[in-house]
Amino acid sequence: MAVEVIMPKLGMAMKEGTVSNWNKQVGEAVEKGELIASINSEKIEMEIEAPASGSLLDIAVPEGEGVPPGTVIGYIGQPGEKVPEAETSVAEQPADKEIAATAMEETKPVSLSALTTRSRIKISPVARKIAESAGIDYTQLKGSGPGGRITKEDVEKAVPAPAASEPEQREESTAPAAQQTPMTGMRKVIAERMHASLKNSAQLTITMKADATEAVQLREQMAETVQSHLEANLSMNDFVARAVVLALQKHPHMNSACMDGHIHQFESIHLGVAVALEKGLVVPVIRDAQNDSFVQLSKKIKLCAERARQGELNQDEMTGSTFTISNLGAYGVEYFTPILNSPEAGILGVGAMEEAAVFKEGTIECRRLLPLSLTFDHRVLDGAPAAAFLQTVKQLLEEPFTMLL
Amino acid sequence: MTTIAIIGGGPAGYVAAITAARQGQKVTLIEEGPLGGVCLNEGCMPTKLLLESAAVLEKVQQAAEFGIRRSSSYVEIDWAYVQLRKEKLIRTLASGVKHLIKKNQIELVNGKARFNDPHSLRVTTAEGERSIRADKFIIAAGSEPVSLPFAPFAGEWVIHSGQALALSAIPATMLIIGGGVIGCEFASIYSRMGTKVSIIEMADQLLPGEDPDIAAVLHEKLKADGVSIYTSASAKKVEAGKKKVIAETAQGIRQFSPDCLLVAIGRKPRVAGLQLENSGVAYSKAGIEVNSQMQTSQPHIYACGDIVGGSQLAHVAFHEGTVAALNACGGAVHADYRAVPRCIYTSPEIAGVGLTEKQARAQYGDIKVGECAFSANGKSLILNEAAGKVKVLIEPQYNEIIGLSIVGPHATELIGQGTVMIHGEMTADSLERLIAAHPSVSEAIYEAVASTAGQAVHT
Repeated sequence: MAVEVIMPKLGMAMKEGTVSNWNKQVGEAVEKGELIASINSEKIEMEIEAPASGSLLDIAVPEGEGVPPGTVIGYIGQPGEKVPEAETSVAEQPADKEIAATAMEETKPVSLSALTTRSRIKISPVARKIAESAGIDYTQLKGSGPGGRITKEDVEKAVPAPAASEPEQREESTAPAAQQTPMTGMRKVIAERMHASLKNSAQLTITMKADATEAVQLREQMAETVQSHLEANLSMNDFVARAVVLALQKHPHMNSACMDGHIHQFESIHLGVAVALEKGLVVPVIRDAQNDSFVQLSKKIKLCAERARQGELNQDEMTGSTFTISNLGAYGVEYFTPILNSPEAGILGVGAMEEAAVFKEGTIECRRLLPLSLTFDHRVLDGAPAAAFLQTVKQLLEEPFTMLL
Repeated sequence: MTTIAIIGGGPAGYVAAITAARQGQKVTLIEEGPLGGVCLNEGCMPTKLLLESAAVLEKVQQAAEFGIRRSSSYVEIDWAYVQLRKEKLIRTLASGVKHLIKKNQIELVNGKARFNDPHSLRVTTAEGERSIRADKFIIAAGSEPVSLPFAPFAGEWVIHSGQALALSAIPATMLIIGGGVIGCEFASIYSRMGTKVSIIEMADQLLPGEDPDIAAVLHEKLKADGVSIYTSASAKKVEAGKKKVIAETAQGIRQFSPDCLLVAIGRKPRVAGLQLENSGVAYSKAGIEVNSQMQTSQPHIYACGDIVGGSQLAHVAFHEGTVAALNACGGAVHADYRAVPRCIYTSPEIAGVGLTEKQARAQYGDIKVGECAFSANGKSLILNEAAGKVKVLIEPQYNEIIGLSIVGPHATELIGQGTVMIHGEMTADSLERLIAAHPSVSEAIYEAVASTAGQAVHT
């Protein structure tokens, strides 16, 4: 009997996985344990091993298509063997329990009105036709008409190009329009999370310059010792991370999150560190960072970042942060407005350090200034306490010896 | 609570007042004349009443065609009674509006308002001058008939539409300058009451805003009723003393000596007399400038109805009054003119909604046109009103219904179905296999829609 190849569930939150690549074609022989396909989901890209030896009988989910975990994506069996009819049957195997759990989670909070909306989308006939011909999922649109009815205008706004007015032009143009990439996997998750973050919280960004001259000097003085004794290499980013961990302990209200109408303040500091990848970005989490020494913290950050770049992080290593740091200094960015990693109440953006002529007691000195941008959720805390936190970070960076204590 | 002062108690003003009051705001409504504006007192309502008398007269005259025999062929209009009936209707409707104003606890000030400065009005009332301050203002002062530069409105000879409703007697002859909606409606009233009517219209067709094929049906009927129609013509000289009018027509210079001269060349926004210059709002002769939220260049001042120009229809004024009031109360609502019915209460009636064929072709290029003639509609034959047709316009890509025109029996009632289609953004195929009542005049609408897909059965 043919063996099903199943889209695995990688963590509780996974809703969809996309087959990014099939390494085998239908009819090709496969060995059990051989990597036959790669998939990407949420923030992870991973390879799928063949569950059995034989030949790849059928590909049920083609490349680029996203399906819920548990879906059969292909079949392996003996050449000529028949493949079951149901193409997208959800396998009742290992993923079973988790799927059941997810299903329950999803149904529970759905109110009656939400159910009605799902079963009957209010949309005008012409709006539906425009949406269908443009390939827009109108069930995701918000209607501006009476009772939330989706109108022609709503759909036209969602259509990238004016569909109604220039059909001929489109046919004539020989050069294909800008490249289109489906929003799947990591891109889709980032898009949803960032948008939800901006939509659901009251974020604003305040900025300060920290004089990091002494931190740079301290780093240079310590470099050799740290390298030879602890096999570590402290970066400016590590100084910032350490300063944040210490400052969060002093200002615990910054180490919080807004969920279900409540402010949750956390004792442990789980520090998220944003890492840019070729196709997106991940935020590995350093758990209980308050228990780490400066050097331990530095080592963990580097290890996490490396594992992130290799795509080796598992879902648990990327969730549960209570505060996040994002560093765009390497690109020459000074100040920016980082978006909160929801539901966290704060994120610190680190810019590029620059030498500047600064007056110090009447004389001009060359100092190294580090731009800091703190985005916080104004629902959780106000400007003054947020500023006090940022000031503490600044002071720690300006008096770096205190961070070693 | 916001205080809102509204100038003008016509369709735009009283609807704005009631809407704002229902939003819980303190509203003062200032009107110098009777409530209800032109529509109720000397426009829509009294005109339709006279038209109904003309229609009943016509029906009685046609009685024989329905098999009704009378002992005498003598029928006459009791003009004095028609006028009484008109006054009674106006009183009933005005008291209805007054009741609504009172019920919604709106302060009604009977007086003439003008702007003192952007935040206050001076109002001249019977008791003297008073000043009214408010947080927000809504200007709904309406419009007035445009006169000919060489023939100002005077006495019972050179008259405007308001006066044409209250003539002391039915004139033997009447010349109407202007073949638009108002001119055609009066031609339709008086020609059927026995007046020899002539119309002079500058454009090359009656009702220049409607499609030529639609206007042509009315043209034929008016001609049959004895109306002389001069299109591409214009009045050159009016001698009020001698009651003479010289006009240039396609057939050469013509001289008219009518018993009364109705000038129906349009209405202009009543921007004079409000001292708008003190308010700071931007305006011109074409009206007060507003954005789609009916807001003027002064953010706290709104304007709606005829005074902003546009289509000058009472139901548009209702819509704009509602939009203005909701926004004055802190809303963010936009006026929507996609599905405004246009009704002309002539015989036969004409009604349209959405685009005309000309507009539709300009906007969409090659459109689909579906038609159904009332001569193929059983109910219209029974009514003895088989002249006219339904025309539906369909945009080709998505089959959206973008315009409907009807000339024929009950057109002004039937157009409501087209208004629903266009307001609801319906497509021709969403009406496939719709069951229309039979026999009815409205069947013709669905027959016309079906014909665009080659599915019409009866035509």
